[in-house]
Parts: sequence; structure tokens; C-alpha cells
Amino acid sequence: MRRLISLVLSAVAAAALSSGAAVSAEAVKIGVVLSLSGPAAVFGIPERDAIQVAMDKLKADGKLKRTIELVIYDDKTNPTEAARMVTQAINNDKVVAIIGPGTGGNILAAGPLALRMQVPLLGPAGTMAITDRKNEFFPWVFRVAPSDRVDVKVILEDIAKSKAKKIGVFFQEDAYGKTGVDFAKEIAPTLGMEVVETVGAPYTATDLTAQATRLRNAGVEAVFLQVSISSLGASFVKAANQVGLTAPAYTNAGLAQRSFAESVGSDVDGLRVLSIGNLPYDPSEGEAELAKLLKQAGKVPQGWGELVGSNGLMTVVAAVNAQGDKEITGVSMRDTIEGLCGYQAFARGKPCFSKDNHDGWAEDSLVITELRNKELKTRR
Amino acid sequence: MYILTEYIVRGIQAGSIYGLLALPMSLLFATAGTIDFAVGAYALLAAAVATIVAGPLGIAIGIAAAVTAAAAMGVIFLVLTRTGTKDHIVFALASFGLAVAIASFILWQFGTQAFVRASFSQFWSLGGIRISPQGVINLGLGALVTLLLYLLLYWSDLGRMMRAAAVNPSGAELAGIPVARIQFGTYLAGGLLGGLAGIMILYSAGLDFTASLSLTLSGFGAAIIFGITSPLRCLLGGVAMGIAEALAAGYTSGMVTAMVPFLFVLVVLSASNIGGGAMAGDRP
Repeated sequence: MRRLISLVLSAVAAAALSSGAAVSAEAVKIGVVLSLSGPAAVFGIPERDAIQVAMDKLKADGKLKRTIELVIYDDKTNPTEAARMVTQAINNDKVVAIIGPGTGGNILAAGPLALRMQVPLLGPAGTMAITDRKNEFFPWVFRVAPSDRVDVKVILEDIAKSKAKKIGVFFQEDAYGKTGVDFAKEIAPTLGMEVVETVGAPYTATDLTAQATRLRNAGVEAVFLQVSISSLGASFVKAANQVGLTAPAYTNAGLAQRSFAESVGSDVDGLRVLSIGNLPYDPSEGEAELAKLLKQAGKVPQGWGELVGSNGLMTVVAAVNAQGDKEITGVSMRDTIEGLCGYQAFARGKPCFSKDNHDGWAEDSLVITELRNKELKTRR
Repeated sequence: MYILTEYIVRGIQAGSIYGLLALPMSLLFATAGTIDFAVGAYALLAAAVATIVAGPLGIAIGIAAAVTAAAAMGVIFLVLTRTGTKDHIVFALASFGLAVAIASFILWQFGTQAFVRASFSQFWSLGGIRISPQGVINLGLGALVTLLLYLLLYWSDLGRMMRAAAVNPSGAELAGIPVARIQFGTYLAGGLLGGLAGIMILYSAGLDFTASLSLTLSGFGAAIIFGITSPLRCLLGGVAMGIAEALAAGYTSGMVTAMVPFLFVLVVLSASNIGGGAMAGDRP
């Protein structure tokens, strides 16, 4: 009888060991749902490129405790397509976390799916609403970029250093523009400033001299541009020069792209551009490493797209490594990410999540740059 | 009063671009009785090409690209005509399709970059109002082209043939007028004018791949507001829209700047129905 019990125990132990080995040998699947086509492709493609080169580097350096397999999808800058791709990634490919979707609107469209299927999303977007605690899906969405509110705060803090008191805001007429205006009006008084004039324009305005004239007439001492359309930013600065609006102009991170810096003329020089790091022109040590990897892969570093993409990957890798040989599910990934703080990433700043804070990157990941001779030079 | 005057001056400068976009629509409507909705795309194409090729050569190649695209639309028009299409809305829809194709091509080839070129760094002062020489060039070019088109349409044999081709194509052909060639040539002229407008925008404000449709709509609004059949009225329509837009930017708040010019077009067109049609361009 004793021999029989011993045999049974041995068999159970062997089964348990083999099962554990199977769990750790099986690849952990991660979905990458980004805007690889459509208007947001200017950010989505660099995000994907960075994820791929960083993953290759981590594999080569033996920094993955488990095998990670990336499954890449294109949300086409379309919320419906984003929801479809997220569903496909979870149902068909059994991913346990998703980097993406690519834009704020797409993340909001996919949030209810993440909640229903219990797989976390790591959104590379600043849109405040994606990590609003009022969302039912709040526990399942994490932000791997600074929020729009943080962006506006950093810009206004820089303006405050110049002793400016009266601010004018030029914004593109959409939700992004309106959000910037609202934040500026809210934050400026806390820094001893006042938003004295706001003026908007549609994406495709062909002349902004009237808008610049209005801000000039209001006597603004600094102008904050809440725009993400390159041509609109360039057009405004040209119009400001024309009408004699000499106040310094600051713009949000939407324009911190190589394509913008290199496509505008010298008459846009002096524009101050907020940026998440400064990958193409003045990288930190980690950013320089990512830029080197991109160049080795034949890619040209574009801007912050690569950095927020790599933030998503490094968060996923940190969560997978932290779980050791345990079985990894969407729930375990969510719980682990909520405990991550101060892990390795290419972008500057200290990433930190908690149960109550799903915004992983803060002010220390941002820099103010100045456009000079088709390059964005870091100012601080 | 000074501020109001400044907004009006800014509006006139901006409106000359709309007028330039409206002129090819007027020309085609006078000749073929249809609208080319790809005019904004021709402007975008010219600007994109002139961005990557510097200097006067870039301008020439950009305009040539716009004319080539317009030639493609001309060929589509001729093919549709020869296959028995008579409904003018079909030609207009075909041009809309071409516009979408051109915008997609530009996104594919040039990406989402801004198409902007530096122009003048020195400005003139007109009664204390700073004026860009580029704005004056835009306005002067718009006025010059309008005058030339007016003379062509109403004071030349070719103009008479063009108008005859629109009013009664069969009768015009029986009278020996080469209707198909005239209509094809009008599409080419539309490409030329659209390309010129694109170059003017490139050196004034700049644009990107999304601009095609809005340029077309602005040109269309300018063309219909005071009457599409007259080049002069198209230019005036463009200037009126530019002024409405500048005043909206100067005096309205919130998210209505984009809406005001089109609201203005709607009001004028509605008023034309109430008042007998003179404002919409009907002959008294």
C-alpha cells in the first residue's frame, strides 16, 4: 500500500513539473494594434518600428524571461476597425495584452472590449478620457505616454518662466483643440497667468492672418498652439510674422516630428515645440540607444512615436518578466502592470503605474524644444 | 474701424485664392455644363511636387503635374461622353473620385508632411496694416487671370465656341465647332489654374494631404455665390468668402470659424431665391 501511494505521488509530481515546464515554454502572445495607415500612420508606423527593433534587441540580449510573440494589426486610424482588430487579437490569437490601439478615439472604442474580455490595453495616446476613472473599463486601460493635461501644464510652466502674464491660444477646431483650450484656461491661473484670447481654425484653413491679428490685438505675451496638423502650425507662425505678432509661440507635441521640422521653412524658426524626449535631434542615453537600433534596422528616427511605442513594449516585458513561470493571463497582466514602477525603458522619465494611476509617464518624460534650421533643439 | 479694415484686407488677400480655385469651375461650367471637383486635388498635387523640387523648376513641374492630372480627368470625361453619358452629375462624381485618388496618391508618396515654402520675410505697410508681398501677388494673379478669362470667354471666337459647346453641344458640332477638343482643353486649363492656386497656397499658408476636399468646397462656394457663369463674379465670390472667413475669425468665438463662410454662402443663395435671383448670378 505504501508503495502504491508513493507511486501515485511521484506521478502527480511529474505531471505538475511537466505542466509547469509547458507553461513557461509556451510563448506569451502580445497584440500590437496600431494606426499603420490613415492619418495617424505618421505616429503608428514609428511606434511599430520601435517595438520591433526593441524586441529584437531584448531577445538578442537575453532579457526576456519568457518567449514573447508579437502579433501586429492595423487599426487604420478607424475606431470600428480598432475594435475589430482588438476582438480578433483576443479571440483568435489569444493575446494577453495589447499595445494600442493607436489613437485616443480608437482606444475609447476598444475599451469596453478590453473590459468584457479582460485583456489590458496599453494606449500610446494623450487623450485624457482613455484613463478617466469614470470609465467602466478604467481597470483595463493604461497610458504609455504623458497625458494631454500634463503636456499643457509643462508648456504653460515654460511660458511662465518667461514672465509672460497674458496668453493667447490658437487651436484647431476639434476635440483635441478644445481640450487644450480648456486645460490652458484651467491651469494658467495657477501659474499666475491668464488666457486673454482664444481663436480657432479648421484643419484646412488656407490663411490664418485674421487669427494672428486677433491675438496680436489682444496684446498676448505668449501664444500656445494646440494643433497637431503640421501645415496649420507652420501656417500660423508665418501669419504671426506677417501681422507683427512677435510673442513667442509654443506648440503641443503633435508637431514634434522630423517630418514637420524638415518640411517647414526658416520663417517658422523659433517655434517652441513640446516633445516626448527628443529622439531625432537630442536624445537621452536611452533614446540614443533606441535611435541606434532603428538606424541599424534601416529606419530614420522620426520623433516621439518610437518612444511611446517602446514604452508599451517595455511595460509588457516588465510585466511578463515579473510573473516568472506563473501562468500569464489578461488578468495577471493587468494586476502586474498596476504594480510596476521604475522599470527600464528607452524614454526618459520614471514610468510608474498603480491601481489608482494608469498614467505611466509624467512630466519628466517631456522636453521643450525650439525649431532652428530644420531641427528641434532641446531647450531644457 | 481700423481693426475691421484690417480684417477686411486680410480677407481680400485670402479670398483671392478661393477666387483662383473658383475660376476653373466657372470655365468648365461655361464650356461643358459640369463641375470639376478635382480642382482642389490639382492644387494639392502642384503644391506637393513643388515642395520636393526647389525653385522655379519645382513650380513648373508642380503645375505640369496638375495639368497632367486634369488631362486624366479630361480623358475620363471624353470616355464617358463617348459611351453615351449625358448626365452632368456623372462627370462631377467622376471628378470627385479622381480627387480622392489623387489625395490618396499624395498621402502614399509624400506622407503626412506639411507642404510649406518660405516666401517673403519683408512686409509692406498699407496705412499701418502689414501686408505680405505674397498676398499682393496672389490678389494680382487672381485679378489678372480673371480678366484674361473674361476676355477669352466674352470677347474671343474661342470663347463663343466654348459657350456654344455648353449650351448646345450637338448644334455646336453641326456648326463645325470641335466640341470634344474644346471641352478637353477646358479641363487642362482647369488643371493649370488649380495648379497655380496650389502654388500660391504653398508660398502663403501651406497645406497638407487633407486639403483637397476643403479647397474644392471653398472654390465651389466662391463659384456659386454670385453666379458661376462669370469669372468676375467668381473672383468676387472668393473675395466675399475670404472676408466672411476673416471676420468670423476676428469676431466670433469657439468652434464656428469654419462654419461661417459656408453659412454666408447659404444665406446669399437663399436670398437670391427670395429676391428674384440677381444675387445668384441670373441675368436681370
